[in-house]
Amino acid sequence: MASRLTLTPPFEAENEFEASLRQAFESLKPTLRPPFSLSIPNPDEYALLNRAILHGVLTEPHFAKTHIKHLHALVTDGYATFLNSLLNVVHHLYPRLLASVKTQLLWVSEETVRVLGIGYDAVLVSLLRQIGGGNCGDGNLWLCSKLVTLFLEQFECLLEDAPHVLSFALYSFLRVLADHCRVGVEKLETLKRLEIHFCVKIVREEFHLSLLIGRDFIRLLQDLVHVPEFRAILKDIVFDPFKFNAVGFEFKDVSQIYSTRTSSRYSLLRISPEMEIQLRFLLSNVKLGHQRRHQMWFARKFLNDPDKEFVAVDIVRFICCAHHPPNEVIQSDVVPRWALIGWLLTACRSSHAVANVKLALFYDWLFFDERVDSIMNIEPAVLLMVHSVPQYIDITRSLLEFLLHLVDNYDVERKDVIVKGVASAFQLLVRKGVVRSLDVLTSCPALSPGLREGLGRLLSCGKVGSS
Amino acid sequence: MTLLKDIVPAAQNNIDTKFILLEKGQTTVEGQNKICLALVADETAAVHFQFWGDECDAFESGDIICLTNGIFSYQHRSLVLRAGKRGELVKVGEFTMAYAETPNMSEIHWIPDPNNSKSYIQDHVISAVSRIFPSPPSDM
Repeated sequence: MASRLTLTPPFEAENEFEASLRQAFESLKPTLRPPFSLSIPNPDEYALLNRAILHGVLTEPHFAKTHIKHLHALVTDGYATFLNSLLNVVHHLYPRLLASVKTQLLWVSEETVRVLGIGYDAVLVSLLRQIGGGNCGDGNLWLCSKLVTLFLEQFECLLEDAPHVLSFALYSFLRVLADHCRVGVEKLETLKRLEIHFCVKIVREEFHLSLLIGRDFIRLLQDLVHVPEFRAILKDIVFDPFKFNAVGFEFKDVSQIYSTRTSSRYSLLRISPEMEIQLRFLLSNVKLGHQRRHQMWFARKFLNDPDKEFVAVDIVRFICCAHHPPNEVIQSDVVPRWALIGWLLTACRSSHAVANVKLALFYDWLFFDERVDSIMNIEPAVLLMVHSVPQYIDITRSLLEFLLHLVDNYDVERKDVIVKGVASAFQLLVRKGVVRSLDVLTSCPALSPGLREGLGRLLSCGKVGSS
Repeated sequence: MTLLKDIVPAAQNNIDTKFILLEKGQTTVEGQNKICLALVADETAAVHFQFWGDECDAFESGDIICLTNGIFSYQHRSLVLRAGKRGELVKVGEFTMAYAETPNMSEIHWIPDPNNSKSYIQDHVISAVSRIFPSPPSDM
């Protein structure tokens, strides 16, 4: 019986895909040792052989090089079949893989980069998604370390062949560094240095890759402002933009970054496949008023210790940017996005986490431009404010206060741009009927006169200044 | 595959079904073996499930479980679904199942079917939901 990839507990069925790899390996085992057959396999045999070799690479470290040589000898499709199976292993099985299998997995992933196999970029992105947020456990740190090392060693190759992957890696490591810096533990020092080195290298040498991220790049940098290298970068972005080598792009001002919407592919990066499945299920199949158990199970799995509350920030970005329900779902009694975000807000303990979650919720409001931004990114925030009246008025109040404070303080030099952004966000939401009118907020007796006036002024500023 | 709304008490291992585990009660010991009563449900109905022995520790709330050759019958005057000696439980997933807590098949009073002495029919509902595992309050 071949070695297993995962440890299947009693009463659990073996994963089907895992079983198919193991069965392929068992049935072809004799042919996996040299001398290798020179006959050309038909498509079915080819697929089976690829699965068998993959299983061999993952479970037989001593023969891994032999298996890879075999693969190089018989490959006829640019490694596409092999990489498709590898992607499935990462995407569906990574959390439960045995430690030795994970080691082999990282090794073979790098081998596929070396040969520029078709689909290695998807594998690398899937591996990035397996880095847990707010998790300084050894396994997670090991993965960070292996990946940042791989990206540094293959930097030139990736820069030329798949630069978008470096951009995804930058987003991931900037985010993860915020966790690593917050913890401040000795064992993290070497890893932090490596991650900082990698991020700074991309920003300073290949700035255009940072520009690909869009406005969330600034949001991530701001969480690292206490790190000297990133404070210097932020300072240069704002005061000395011409310092940056932005190939094929004239980088003149930070507002160019602000006005670039961050693609949902980035918000997906900090959500593991398992988390994604559960969040999308919650927002597609569970009825409002009946979500308590599912929320509890989700929290127990992903938000189960104090360090993890910052993961709520990534979840909110995901919900706003990467999960846009179709009209049938919006009009049904399924849990709406604003309700889930309201729950996440209450699940945060520290004021730092709460503030970051609110910023994540409003981030696309600040520079909102109908021509490039999506109304679906701003809809949850206004609905949360409106639906919290009057039963949860504290939420409405704290969100409005935060928004007005943000408008005044986020970037004082560019306050006019922000006022225009937020005002046009409100206007579009009313125009499209997401809310019938803002009277529910501007005339709400439970909100202070100061707050109501502040909102009123913001809305009228936008109208007067609009072009 | 039988939906939970269609299960009927019988002295036979004839139930193949799939459900999500909503809540586990305390594990207690009965003779040599652990037992644990739980609330399980699918999209159509809920029922009380009796875990036995090693099953008690193997499953957590949120688990999606396939039961084959299970039995739905009276154990100590309560009506429970269980694997029994010939049944099998397998965890096939987690989280991704919507469920209904009403009707609860264990909270129904059954009487013998006048047309078929071997079978039972529903007489009246004792409780719309489990009296042992109360529904959590509706939330925002």
